[in-house]
Amino acid sequence: MTQVTDDIIIRTVARLLIPFIQLYALYVIMHGHHSPGGGFQGGVILGASFILYLITHGLEEAKARMSEVKAGLFSSFGLLIYSGIGLLCLILGSNYLDYGELSAILKVIPAQARSLGILGVEIGVGIAVMAVMFSIFFDISTGGVLPEDEEGESEGR
Amino acid sequence: MSNFFLYLGMGLFTLVLFCLYRGVFGPGVLNRIAGICAIGTKTLVILLLMGFIYNRVEMFIDISMVYALLNFIGTITVAKYLEIRGEV
Repeated sequence: MTQVTDDIIIRTVARLLIPFIQLYALYVIMHGHHSPGGGFQGGVILGASFILYLITHGLEEAKARMSEVKAGLFSSFGLLIYSGIGLLCLILGSNYLDYGELSAILKVIPAQARSLGILGVEIGVGIAVMAVMFSIFFDISTGGVLPEDEEGESEGR
Repeated sequence: MSNFFLYLGMGLFTLVLFCLYRGVFGPGVLNRIAGICAIGTKTLVILLLMGFIYNRVEMFIDISMVYALLNFIGTITVAKYLEIRGEV
């Protein structure tokens, strides 16, 4: 599933389409409270763009852009943003994920602080979902065995 | 005008049933893939028609774009799987 495809049409279409997919994913994450979407949906679209890159350009080039280690780090980092904002609200003296208290830090009115707080949480959820989607596809398509682990045996997997 | 979109959507839904028949009973894998892809494109248009019926097109355009995108990626994935398995 992860070897390089030799079809130039697929490679060119994927190379042209992937930046627009990622731009659209960022739009879905940022615009989540005005239209359908949000952190999870935008993260799924962002992960789909990386999966498309892995399918079309092969394992070696995809590992330069997003490897298994990077995916693990990104999923933890997204969870850190999410729980960090929640704990920051808890430290400032209100409930978990009650963004109104963030107005003391951000120097804005509480309504605007709620909007910014939920935007930060959605960015964290989007990063985590993107990394986990890519990681699941990576594990399934390689069977959990990377080519450098067993030399010569996993050719053409 | 809303009735026009409603009848158009019902017609497309009838066509989806024919594609579903080809997807379930179609001889061979390629006919099934073609049927499922046709269902995906028809679903996209049905979503846009729903947006016109409910007067909220700007909501449904987002959903239909994501649907088209995931349909494209799914088709490429299935095609590559069949290429590797050597069934085509």
